[in-house]
Amino acid sequence: SFHGLFAFLLMLLEWTKPGLSNPLRPICDLRVLKHFIEEARDAEAAMLACKEGRGLPEPVTVPQTKVDFNVWERKNALEQAQEVQSGLWLLNQAIGSLRATVTNTALHSHIDNSLRNIFSIGQVLRSLNIQEYTPPAGGVAGGEETWRVSSASELLQVHVNFLRGKVHLLLSNTPVCHQGSS
Amino acid sequence: DKKMTNDNLNKLLVFCVLFCAQKTSIVHGVQALETKVALLLHVEPENPKCFAEGTSDLTCFWEEDEERAGSADQYSFIYTYQNENSSKCAVTALPAAGGKRLYFCRLSQTQLFVPLDIRVFRDNLLIHNRSLFIEVVFLLDPPANLTLTSTETQGQLKASWLPPSLKYMGDSMMYEVSYTMAGSHIGKVEEVQASSELILRGLQLGTKYKVRIRVKLDGISYSGYWSAWTDPVLMETMSDLDPLIVSLSLVISLVLTLLSLIVLMSHRRFLLKKIWPIIPTPESKFQGLFKVYGGDFQVWLGHSTGGLWLRPAYFYSKEFPAPLEVLSEVSLGPALPSSALPPKASEALGEEEDEDKKLKRAIHQHPAPQTQSSLLESHDAYVTLNAQNHSGEEPLDNIL
Repeated sequence: SFHGLFAFLLMLLEWTKPGLSNPLRPICDLRVLKHFIEEARDAEAAMLACKEGRGLPEPVTVPQTKVDFNVWERKNALEQAQEVQSGLWLLNQAIGSLRATVTNTALHSHIDNSLRNIFSIGQVLRSLNIQEYTPPAGGVAGGEETWRVSSASELLQVHVNFLRGKVHLLLSNTPVCHQGSS
Repeated sequence: DKKMTNDNLNKLLVFCVLFCAQKTSIVHGVQALETKVALLLHVEPENPKCFAEGTSDLTCFWEEDEERAGSADQYSFIYTYQNENSSKCAVTALPAAGGKRLYFCRLSQTQLFVPLDIRVFRDNLLIHNRSLFIEVVFLLDPPANLTLTSTETQGQLKASWLPPSLKYMGDSMMYEVSYTMAGSHIGKVEEVQASSELILRGLQLGTKYKVRIRVKLDGISYSGYWSAWTDPVLMETMSDLDPLIVSLSLVISLVLTLLSLIVLMSHRRFLLKKIWPIIPTPESKFQGLFKVYGGDFQVWLGHSTGGLWLRPAYFYSKEFPAPLEVLSEVSLGPALPSSALPPKASEALGEEEDEDKKLKRAIHQHPAPQTQSSLLESHDAYVTLNAQNHSGEEPLDNIL
């Protein structure tokens, strides 16, 4: 009966645990992103050095990386967040498909690293209460903010520039992280 | 009429002030541009040389010798962002030192994080071709308001400055602080990231230091060239011997010394007794024992009057017994005793009246400690008072 009571108490505590909606603490340290950018650069350099598997079997859709500050500032926080989340989703799809075409084991580790980092950035965005992206049903998202690449090195370059640009801008200006500071 | 003239004058005055202010800023701007151009000519090998000063601009330039140089119209500056159509930028020419000409193109609206292709033509002939990312060619103005302050710790100075006011890039700024002793060429350099102050440690005391700073973007998202150095700022570190502290310490130590001296002087006897206690010596009781006989007690005893130590009272008397005894006439017969009478004899004689009186008279005339020293055997000479000189023995025998 003691064990039963103990189990019941645990269940009760688990059920009434506070902060169920957002268990993650906001991750505001940009050194995490800096590390991911450096690893993405390493992956791009490794792909450029490797001569095999440069071309992709078919073009993949990737996000636009360009940032015009005047245009960016005119967008609200939600629009900026959506742009970043959709871009990361596209990159995740594209780099995932790249893995199948590459045979070099060193490149494999770089690609796996990049995919893990994209997932981690998603966790960071979740901790900042940034809404996740829901891809449109029935196909890949297109539009103004996307274009298509046909080489692996181009794809990885887009990956680097997207992290350095839009992702870095979004994370460095999120209101959650600037609440305590003047 | 007068009012209109006044209004016109006021307008003219305002216009003049604005013009002058703008001229100063223009002059300042031109100077800054000249510095940046000189810097890039030195460090950037590619052509055209391009730099961004803010978040939305790009300035590109190239140099040509006077001989080959043409007018600005002859040149075309074509730029193309990735996945976009080409655009043209207007070229301006400026004279430069050393018989050269500089050609400029400035973009006021830019896109970052995307490759930019630049091609320069002179009379439809391609002379320069370059592909770059605008966010990696930043050349900022040096930080402003560099100030030096002392810290509480000796051998330290705090340098603080105003970071360049660029939106989104504050956390990406890297500073290099150079500090040298004034007059020396050997200096040290310290780097600091995303900060607006730095404490310089390990400095020599009482020395003047010359400090200057420059800024650059850290190279992760944004990158570029080191800015020009700020004008140096001079400051002296705190000296080891602050005059106020030295004088105060001297005064305090002086006061403490005086106080301790006073205390010592007032208790000097007590302190002397404690530090240097007097060892008692028996020298005063044994006259001449140490000074004359060197502590040899036996010798000292032999030379002094015997039996002294049986008569302690003797030690205190300062009078020595007179070596001479003067006796009075004792008329026992016709012949007066010629010899002196011993004390016993003198006492015996005292029984008879006449003789007694005379004897008493004699004794009284010469009172001697012999009355007390009756036990002593005297070997001293006797002096008789009569004319006849008999041996002192006979009458004595008769009397006794």
